[in-house]
Amino acid sequence: GQSYPGKPKIIRCRSLEKETFSCWWKPGSDGGLPTNYTLFYSKDSEEKTYECPDYQTSGPNSCYFDKNHTNPQATYGITITATNEIGSNSSDPQYVDVTSIVQPNAPVNLSLETKPSANTMYLWAKWSPPPSDDVSSNLLVYHYELRLKREEKEEWETISVGVQTQYKVLKLQAGMKYVVQVRCMLDVGEWSEWSSERCIQIPNGESPPEKPTIIKCRSPEKETFTCWWKPGSDGGHPTNYTLLYSKEGEEQVYECPDYRTAGPNSCYFDKKHTSFWTIYNITVRATNEMGSNVSDPHYVDVTYIVQPDPPVNVTLELKKPINRKPYLVLTWSPPPLADVRSGWLTLEYELRLKPEEGEEWETIFVGQQTQYKMFSLNPGKKYIVQIHCKPDHHGSWSEWSSEKYIQIPTDFRVKDMIVWIVVGVLSSLICLIMSWTMVLKGYRMIAFILPPVPGPKIKGIDAHLLETGKSEELLSALGCHGFPPTSDCEELLIEYLEVEDSEDQQLVPRHDNGHPSKNAKMIPKETDSDSGRGSCDSPSLLSEKCRECHTLPSILQTPDVRDVQESKGGKRTWETQCIASEQKTFLFNNESTKLSTWPAAQLPNNQPPMFAYHSTVDAQKITLNTTNVNIAAVLVGNEEKHQSQYPVTETANNDVEKQREVESLHSKTDQTTVQVKQNRSNDKSPFLNPKLMDYVEVHKVRQDEPAVLLKHKENSGKTEKYTVPGSSKEYTKVSTVVDHNILVLMPDSCVQHASVSPEPAMETSPYLQQGQAEKNMSYCLTTPSECRRETSGSEYMDPSSFMPSFK
Amino acid sequence: GMLLVVLLVSNMLLTKEGVTSLPICPNGSANCQLSLGELFERAVKLSHYIHFLSSEIFNEFDERYAQGRGFITKAVNGCHTSSLTTPEDKEQAQQIHHKDLLNLVLGVLRSWNDPLIHLVSEVQRIKEAPDTILWKAVEIEEQNKRLLEGMEKIVGRVHSGEIGNEIYPRWEGLPSLQLADEDSRLFAFYNLLHCHRRDSHKIDNYLKLLKCRLIHDSNC
Repeated sequence: GQSYPGKPKIIRCRSLEKETFSCWWKPGSDGGLPTNYTLFYSKDSEEKTYECPDYQTSGPNSCYFDKNHTNPQATYGITITATNEIGSNSSDPQYVDVTSIVQPNAPVNLSLETKPSANTMYLWAKWSPPPSDDVSSNLLVYHYELRLKREEKEEWETISVGVQTQYKVLKLQAGMKYVVQVRCMLDVGEWSEWSSERCIQIPNGESPPEKPTIIKCRSPEKETFTCWWKPGSDGGHPTNYTLLYSKEGEEQVYECPDYRTAGPNSCYFDKKHTSFWTIYNITVRATNEMGSNVSDPHYVDVTYIVQPDPPVNVTLELKKPINRKPYLVLTWSPPPLADVRSGWLTLEYELRLKPEEGEEWETIFVGQQTQYKMFSLNPGKKYIVQIHCKPDHHGSWSEWSSEKYIQIPTDFRVKDMIVWIVVGVLSSLICLIMSWTMVLKGYRMIAFILPPVPGPKIKGIDAHLLETGKSEELLSALGCHGFPPTSDCEELLIEYLEVEDSEDQQLVPRHDNGHPSKNAKMIPKETDSDSGRGSCDSPSLLSEKCRECHTLPSILQTPDVRDVQESKGGKRTWETQCIASEQKTFLFNNESTKLSTWPAAQLPNNQPPMFAYHSTVDAQKITLNTTNVNIAAVLVGNEEKHQSQYPVTETANNDVEKQREVESLHSKTDQTTVQVKQNRSNDKSPFLNPKLMDYVEVHKVRQDEPAVLLKHKENSGKTEKYTVPGSSKEYTKVSTVVDHNILVLMPDSCVQHASVSPEPAMETSPYLQQGQAEKNMSYCLTTPSECRRETSGSEYMDPSSFMPSFK
Repeated sequence: GMLLVVLLVSNMLLTKEGVTSLPICPNGSANCQLSLGELFERAVKLSHYIHFLSSEIFNEFDERYAQGRGFITKAVNGCHTSSLTTPEDKEQAQQIHHKDLLNLVLGVLRSWNDPLIHLVSEVQRIKEAPDTILWKAVEIEEQNKRLLEGMEKIVGRVHSGEIGNEIYPRWEGLPSLQLADEDSRLFAFYNLLHCHRRDSHKIDNYLKLLKCRLIHDSNC
């Protein structure tokens, strides 16, 4: 059930500032009913009791006594009465002396900072007194205590601060974290609670500077010197550096005479402050507000710390003495600061060089001289050169001087020699290859393609023909064999030469009609034709010539076209000629070999299907027999001798002929005649001996391969017939001379005209255009009146007898 | 046969030597005089060589015996020649009269005669002294004497016959080289070698200076 309330208990009475105070109580049981609590107090021993003036300010179950109700001198007797409907109950009275219950609140606004002092860091703590609403409370004087500990530790270190609201804590360990609290009390009463904790990290850097280090001392010229040092950490404060030195044998310590000249963290000793053969004891002191630190001492004898500047004025000059290899002259000057002339300082030099693209330097110690000659440098390379220097005994090498470049020129003589060697080797190689192939291939080729057939003899001009003055017939007779033989008919070369000349003359009448100038151009072309011999061995050239041969019949019918071609061809022939003569030099040996090795036995087998014989000799039968072949072989042997002389003669002729293009025909004839004479005198040529020279070889070449070989033999006016096995056709007319060396014979019109002419015509037509390019068919002569010739005794002209008549 | 060959060879050698000695003294030994330039040339070569040896022997000794002993800090003001006032920089060296400088060189050389002799004998007692140190000590002592002779010639030539017989500093360091305490004894050697390195360099430097001044008119 319900009852009167339980007995309340006064817990505590407290005054924060001795001017007011509060009391708190703890209610007893309420007896199940709403209960009122009333505080009654009496002062000292007065009878009168008062009720609490303020139940609100200090919270529930409390009573606040403001200034007006507080008398510090009085003793308060306090009781709490709890009352409900049933009854009331009172606490035990508590007697409170205000001064004894004073306990202020904790100080507030504690702040910490670290500050450096002379040697160490100190902690600077600040705080405010406990807050109070009352302005007058500011007059209160609090005493403070501060406690601190390393964060990780348990024990506090308590420091009595006094009445100040700030404090310096010294002797803290750098890098540690500290926890700090403060509390306060009035002159009476108890200490307040500790304030809330504040933590602070004591910084590391806040300390005296570290020891500086003297890096090095250097004298650039053995007269002054400079020392540099490296500062340590500055302890977080501006730090001053002082260099101090003492000299051997002197007690006195001096300070650096010049901190500026050599830049930061250095000391420059000028001449007056520099002594040699004495030891300097040098230290550097670093100082900031936290303290100072001194470097380790550095002992220096200036004699041993000389390091000069690099040499200057480095020049490279390439000398090219006559008849000797070029060499390089290097010159340089000592560094400008170094006084080497007085002898006070002696320098030695070392140079290094390498090719620009090279990796490794070649180093050469030069001694005291200031120039150096370098031989045996690789020509054509670019070199880099550097020089440095050093005092003669002690000290160290200077830096390398700046890089200098020099291009070593290529040695021309050496280069030329190399070029010539290369050319020589190459050309000999080519010769070897050519001769090799020619020996191999030519042998086969000739045996296969060009079976040796005895050529027709040209045995002078028929006297009758000349007498009758039928020049056209003459021309026709001559024109056809007016050209040098192909490779297989070398032995006839000289005869062709002569024929050509005669042909020139033959052409005159024809071209007199309207094209004299063209005519003039043609002549050299024909004359050269002998020089084209070299091309005989070239299959391509040969085949071209063959085609021309085939085109002849058609050309005969179109003289106009031919004229045009002539004029076009004039110049080109020179070109081809040149090529031909060049080739000849290579082919020469081969020709002779080839020719001499002609197997006579093969001849009959190879010839028949491919050729046609044209005989200019009236009523002559061309017969092929072994005897003729043998003779031909002999002739070949002779011919080889002649050939060796051709290159010279021909070239000479060519040149002369070019110059004389405009000259008259006669003069040219003379010229050729001379040539012929030369040939005669040089060797016992067939010209002198009718028996030897009466072979004419004519081959007719088909489009694909040289096909026809014709040999005509005439012995001193006596004619022999050569019959081709398998086709016993007789060719009596020279139809044309194609290019340089192909003689085309027409079948005797009277005998077998029909059988031959159709075939060539057909064959030629496809090649007409090609033939035009070659333009040489112009030489071919139309001889409509072939039948007439049959009557004349000999249609072969002996050039030797023919030529002089034109003089 | 053998004898003949030997005789022949020796004869050839003799002739060769005769030939090689000719250019040095073309007029025979009586009037043979080297020019001052040649004398200086030789003196400089010699002093250069002596200082080279002195540096080598010092470095060798330093590496072998002085490491970590801090001798350098003690080797201050400990040379017996420091009583001689010698030029200490270029300016002083250029201002001093060449005769005085020559006399200084002479004095320094003489003051080293005695200690070098003792060095040669005492250095052999150093424990495990390498041959390189021993022979260098001997060589230095010999070359120093040769240089002294040469310098006396030069001084006689320059001073026209007078050779200054000034008092030179005496070396009193023999007992220190014979100390029982190894550390002290080694320091005594160290200091002696250090001092000789310094003085031989001084001499070399002064001679090169004098050569340029007297022979090349200060235009080396």
